Amino acid sequence: MRRSDKYRFYVILGVLVVLQFSARRWLGGDRVAPDFLLLALLIYTIRARPGPSAGAGFVVGLVRDALTPASFGAGALAHTLVAYLASWSKAVFFAENLFVNGCLFFAGTWCRNLAVAVASGKLKGGMLGWELLVWSPIQSLTTAVAGVLVLWLVGRRIAVRLSDA
Amino acid sequence: MALGADRYASRADTLVFVGCVLLSGAAMSLPGRLRDPLARALRDTVLAPFLSLQQQIERLSASLARYDAVVAQRDSASLVATFLPELRGENARLRSLLGLGTRLGTGYVPAEVLREPEPTSPLTFIVSAGKKQGVKPLSAVVSPEGLVGIVSTVDQQTSLVVTWAHPEFRASAMAADGSVYGIVAPHGSEGPRVWLLELEGVAYRQLVPNGTLILTSGLGGVMPRGIPVGVVVGVAGEAEGWERTYLLRPAVHPAAVTHVMILSGTPSRGDLRSVFESSGEAP
Repeated sequence: MRRSDKYRFYVILGVLVVLQFSARRWLGGDRVAPDFLLLALLIYTIRARPGPSAGAGFVVGLVRDALTPASFGAGALAHTLVAYLASWSKAVFFAENLFVNGCLFFAGTWCRNLAVAVASGKLKGGMLGWELLVWSPIQSLTTAVAGVLVLWLVGRRIAVRLSDA
Repeated sequence: MALGADRYASRADTLVFVGCVLLSGAAMSLPGRLRDPLARALRDTVLAPFLSLQQQIERLSASLARYDAVVAQRDSASLVATFLPELRGENARLRSLLGLGTRLGTGYVPAEVLREPEPTSPLTFIVSAGKKQGVKPLSAVVSPEGLVGIVSTVDQQTSLVVTWAHPEFRASAMAADGSVYGIVAPHGSEGPRVWLLELEGVAYRQLVPNGTLILTSGLGGVMPRGIPVGVVVGVAGEAEGWERTYLLRPAVHPAAVTHVMILSGTPSRGDLRSVFESSGEAP
């Protein structure tokens, strides 16, 4: 990877983090708007090895847990799992193309929500069902769409290879 | 960075992963007295700029919402100011309608005109009074200015009014001094003289000067006598030297009416001329 690509890559990740705290409120309710922070993490896992991905997931999750102390640690665990599995499974199973990456974003978001819900133990019964069967799929979809757009717009500039696997 | 076999998890990757999972578990099991300060420290350091950004965005959004509210209020005020003359006019009409009701005493039903946004609205319209209010078919419908039309169909709560502009409308009429009698009908719906009435069947030898007030005559027992219909504005035509037709400027334009009074038991009411003359609204 060229140095300029490396900078662009981290700039894009930074932009996504900023979007998480700025533009997200205009993209629908909290439960349906795309999760740009998780998207940044998943895009990072596309290029990183599973170990650093897990570390990044832990940090992102812990930072998010600071905003929701009631389930402190659950986010760290969920993001660690999702980041590690995303990075590992991309290397093992997935081809590099836009649709597959979209599916990865969708599955990653949904699995993250599942892991947080289960690990925190705060959601049970109907609430858990609604969260996993209604809200999470919607959020996963919006996140996947946002991720596909990002990769489609800047994927080549940040040396994320698409459709050439 | 190429993807390939080097992306499979190595032992180091697995160790990092296990370490992160263990740390996550430790974080989950932290007691509140340790967990809360840690979370607060993260919010005050790493997350501080982002939370500040989020706060600014919230303020910006709230400002935009307030701006929209202010613009909406300004638009509403402008709209109210636009309709002010119309509201004053409607108020005056309602006051005159009340005055007419007082003079009529009993035997009338007040009603609102329920308009439909259609081009044919001035020809027929619905009023908010029906059988329950005592409205009967063929009752005269008036406003303080004069005759509006006649009730065609009566429902339980509403009635259909055929205005004088309807092609099938006819009313027996006379000059205010009773010297001339004829039949009033709409002049037509095309050309420059649209929305005028005509007084038909006036004997050729009887001249009706312009400005003559035409009232209902009460002949036929449908309309009461003395309701203003319009004012003569000219001759519309002559027929073979034995009758003349005069053009009338209507006392009321149906499109401008918002409230009406439906006269009930009107044939026995007698002459209503004094009622409308007192209102000072007769043309």
